[in-house]
Amino acid sequence: MASTDMEQKGQGSPKGVLEKVTSSHEGNAKWLHAHYDPYSTLYTFSSCIALADLHGDGDNKLIIANLGTGKYDMKLKVYKGTTLMTENTIIDLPTAVCTFFMDTHDPRTPAVAVASGPYIYVYKNLRPYFKFTLPPLDVNPVEQDLWNQAKEDKIDVQVLKEMLESLRADGSEGTLTVRSLRFLMLDPEDMPTFANLHKHSPLKRQTVITCMTTLKKSHSEEDAISCLVIGTESKDIYILDPEAFTVLTKMVLPSVPVFLDVTGLFDVEFRIVVSCRNGNIYSLKKGSKAPKYSIELSSQPVGLQRMGKNVVVGCMDQTLQCYTTKGKRLWVLTLPANVMTMELMDYKSRGFKAIMVALDNCEVHVYNEKYLVNTIKTEDIVTGMKFGRFGREDGALVMTTKGGGLIVKILKRNSVFEEKDSRPGPPASQNQKLNIPKKTKLYVDQTMRERENAVTMHRMFQRDLYRLRLDAARSYVKALETSMTPMSADPLEPLKLSATVNGIGPSFKLTVNLQNTSSATPSINLLITFQYDEKLYQLQRTSIKVPLLVPGLNYAFQTLVECISDKAIADTIKVFVLRKGKSMPIITGNINMPVSEAQVVV
Amino acid sequence: MAEREQDSTVNQDQCAKQVESGNIQGDEQTPDKQMSDVMSGSSLLAPEAVKSPQPQPRPRPKKAPELPIFECKNWLIHQHYIRKEYELCKSLIKEELQESQGMCEYAIYVQALIMRQEGNIQESLELFQTCSLLNPQSVENLKQVARSLFLLGKHKSAIDVYNEASKMNMKDWEIFHNLGVCHLFLKEYPKAKENLKLAIQYSRHEVSFQMLARVYLLEHDVDMALDIYKRAVEFSPENPDLLTNLGLLYLQTGQFQRAFEHLGNALTYDPVHVKAIMAAGSMMQSHGDFDVALTKYRVAAASTPESAPLWNNIAMCFFGKKKYVAAISCLKRAVYLAPFDWKVQYNLGLVHLTMQQYASAFHYLSAAINIRPKMGELYMLLAVALTHLEDEQNARRAYEQAVLFDQKNASVNLNYCIFLMNHGERKAAVRQFSVFEQKLQEARKHSSSVDQELLDMAARLGPSLHLGENLVWNKQQGADTANSHSQHPSRAPLPTAHTNNAPPTMDKEAPVPTAPPAELEPTAPPPEADLDALPSPPTHPVEEETESRRGDSQRVAVQAD
Repeated sequence: MASTDMEQKGQGSPKGVLEKVTSSHEGNAKWLHAHYDPYSTLYTFSSCIALADLHGDGDNKLIIANLGTGKYDMKLKVYKGTTLMTENTIIDLPTAVCTFFMDTHDPRTPAVAVASGPYIYVYKNLRPYFKFTLPPLDVNPVEQDLWNQAKEDKIDVQVLKEMLESLRADGSEGTLTVRSLRFLMLDPEDMPTFANLHKHSPLKRQTVITCMTTLKKSHSEEDAISCLVIGTESKDIYILDPEAFTVLTKMVLPSVPVFLDVTGLFDVEFRIVVSCRNGNIYSLKKGSKAPKYSIELSSQPVGLQRMGKNVVVGCMDQTLQCYTTKGKRLWVLTLPANVMTMELMDYKSRGFKAIMVALDNCEVHVYNEKYLVNTIKTEDIVTGMKFGRFGREDGALVMTTKGGGLIVKILKRNSVFEEKDSRPGPPASQNQKLNIPKKTKLYVDQTMRERENAVTMHRMFQRDLYRLRLDAARSYVKALETSMTPMSADPLEPLKLSATVNGIGPSFKLTVNLQNTSSATPSINLLITFQYDEKLYQLQRTSIKVPLLVPGLNYAFQTLVECISDKAIADTIKVFVLRKGKSMPIITGNINMPVSEAQVVV
Repeated sequence: MAEREQDSTVNQDQCAKQVESGNIQGDEQTPDKQMSDVMSGSSLLAPEAVKSPQPQPRPRPKKAPELPIFECKNWLIHQHYIRKEYELCKSLIKEELQESQGMCEYAIYVQALIMRQEGNIQESLELFQTCSLLNPQSVENLKQVARSLFLLGKHKSAIDVYNEASKMNMKDWEIFHNLGVCHLFLKEYPKAKENLKLAIQYSRHEVSFQMLARVYLLEHDVDMALDIYKRAVEFSPENPDLLTNLGLLYLQTGQFQRAFEHLGNALTYDPVHVKAIMAAGSMMQSHGDFDVALTKYRVAAASTPESAPLWNNIAMCFFGKKKYVAAISCLKRAVYLAPFDWKVQYNLGLVHLTMQQYASAFHYLSAAINIRPKMGELYMLLAVALTHLEDEQNARRAYEQAVLFDQKNASVNLNYCIFLMNHGERKAAVRQFSVFEQKLQEARKHSSSVDQELLDMAARLGPSLHLGENLVWNKQQGADTANSHSQHPSRAPLPTAHTNNAPPTMDKEAPVPTAPPAELEPTAPPPEADLDALPSPPTHPVEEETESRRGDSQRVAVQAD
């Protein structure tokens, strides 16, 4: 068996290695490795990466909003080529980054929008230019009234607290403002200062941005003016005017948006496909205030991309699914690992579109329709991806990794993706040999022997089996007859015996536990006695009188045993439980004594 | 101290720069920009606001600091959750909850989801309950509470919570689906069906179809289950699970062609679908395509190397290919993996009988009988083994048991008949023979495939029993041969499979039955033995396979749930 195992492995491994080499080679044949810096300390997502020609010089820069440590050190980084050009500090965690044209001035330089908390910071020429604040949500009128009264000192802090608490418990008017919630969290002595500090500023209820993207306003040219489309924690979608920063349209979703995908023109017709935290995907059109079609996924989406009229979603259950915008499922693929992020590969110079899926097995798969056309192996798990023009190269793929690294790969200009499945037909395991042991000479000999002597073998076996059963039955009867067992077989004397030995010698303590297992009848007139080798052991008490045994209780009887031999030998001590006046024991226990330690003479 | 001073100076430097940049920006500002500011009513981006949050001395000292809202990191928690970065998620949630003193609903929600993923269902339930306390309006929270209750096996309470949730959202398929599943586990099938149908009505999902079909199967309504699966496959034609289940149901109802079609489809969409491989393989086996079945099984063996039914089927492929030693080693692996599976023991007994290892066969067969004490065929095989082991008395008793338990299998009676003939009990033999004929006729009514070997054997035995040529049986046989000849070409390869299997045994026995009357009386045992043992094998491996496959599919189904 072992030898065949080895053989199979021997056969299998070179083939496996070969396959690996060819496949990775194939992956790399299409991409040039441009840059890999494992120590860029980038903590970011695909939504926080952008490529844009910020200075209008034809050289596309890489813009990354870095989440830093998650608490501080948030930066907007701009790379020219692979060198860091500028860094701007962001005060809160960036959620998304977009580049867009907000005016028609020359030179055509796009602005950078960074969504962070309830704000959008707009940078022009890499300088802070404008800050947009999300319109505040409606405040509960009762709450507003309470704070107004507090401001005018009509009610004291205690009343304010009680009223707010009842308002919160009621909960029918939506949640309270942060100020009220924070106020209620405070210790009573801190409340007045907090109230005095805050009561003069206007009460507002804010929300935060969860996702952001752009939508061309009235022209579809590359450098046409775009609107910003933002999704918020309050389950709303806003479309902002790029010049005046007013809300052009507001739409309401049933759940919090996570990924947005927008196509079309704002002034003509557009469609927003949005995946939400409840695991559904909704589709919104121009003029609709609420979503029209919904796709219910079996698990949470991890990435959402549009391919023509279809939506491709990567899900948490390791699947890649494709739907029409009307919600009909076209295909499902099972992926070999968890999806980390997705990106649309739109290689305009060749008119090639594909979906890139980063997986947590350090691979990026490229799917054209449902066919895997390319696999890129990376040094680390990719968490953020952007495909587009970088520097002066059209087909650049920028990836950030879990470990904070930055990878740049460039698509070779002569590489062609075959529009068919690159996976082989039958699974590789079909050609693997089954692990079946070879027949040995011994086996053949034994078979021959059995063929020749089947009858005698059978008879021998049957005879021996009967004898074994007979012996077993005999010993059992004997044990029952002499009460050799620690459990009483006599229904009149329902007793159970167990014993423990404590100590390392030469003195031991022997504890005999006796239990009356009957339900009601107590046991009386019992004795415990021992049988032992008198040359080896000396017992403190050779006979113990047993009191009345109440059913169910456990009684412990102890005696000291002295080992009097200095040879390192041990023997068994038998414990008998007897009825007074009868020589036949009811139950017997054999205690294997441990070997005694030698006596230490001082 | 020195360091801090440095820090502060750096900060000041930065501030200075920022102020500078602010100035520059101010200079650059166009009237257009200011216009837009005025229009939008938003404040000019103060450089301090962007760059340094620390409060500088302000004209109005009383100005309150901005209060960050509790939900500000929800998106980040969600981003990490969907990437299954649970550790990161948990530390983020911990911070958030500290910050908000446990008031952040979404953080608790995700924490509960992670807890459930990690198997701490009780804790997750408590957290979800906290969530629904924080936000009693949310259907999602209620659904999750119910889900956790369901996972804890508290189906009744789960139903209560789901009912409450369904009041808030009347048309949520998920609620009705889960209600149906809860009722299913409480064995309230009519309610389960009702809810599952509602779920399908609101939104079609594969799971709902599967569950509904399962309810019908539990009610032994195969036709309805078949119907449901047909609809499910229509809705989702590329799902290998649905296709496989539909194929298995077709198999169960005897529609082999359709069954094979669907199983084949399942395998085109997922070539490594073990359940489909097992089902399709067993069908191929029953048609005698042992090599094709083996290649399929190789795929299954790579993904489930510890499946006893798989190794059992592989073994019977080898048995069909007359590779008996390989068959035995595979069966032994199967028996090691599933020591209490009587089918494996049965097959082991059968293969050992074929190998003439009667003593071993006896052990496996008696083990099988111990596990499944009321099966006629097992006793028959045991009797055959005992005949070879020259234990006439026990063989006779085994035959008696076999005849007692068996209802359909004609070979049992034929073998007993031969045994009786060999021991000179012609009257009893004639009686068995007539029972054999009855069973044969019965079998012919239901399915036209009767083992040719059985017929041959009976044809030889008939004269020796002095029953004459003019018996029912003979007419019948004449008709039958005509029948089978006419049917052979048109019918599926089923009969050929039998003959494929049969030849080895036939060749070996051929000399024996040639002169039955002469040899029967005095020293018959060895040839009779051959006679006996051999009719059985061809019938069994085949039957065995389908059965074991069915058993396996059921097992798989149970696991899947």
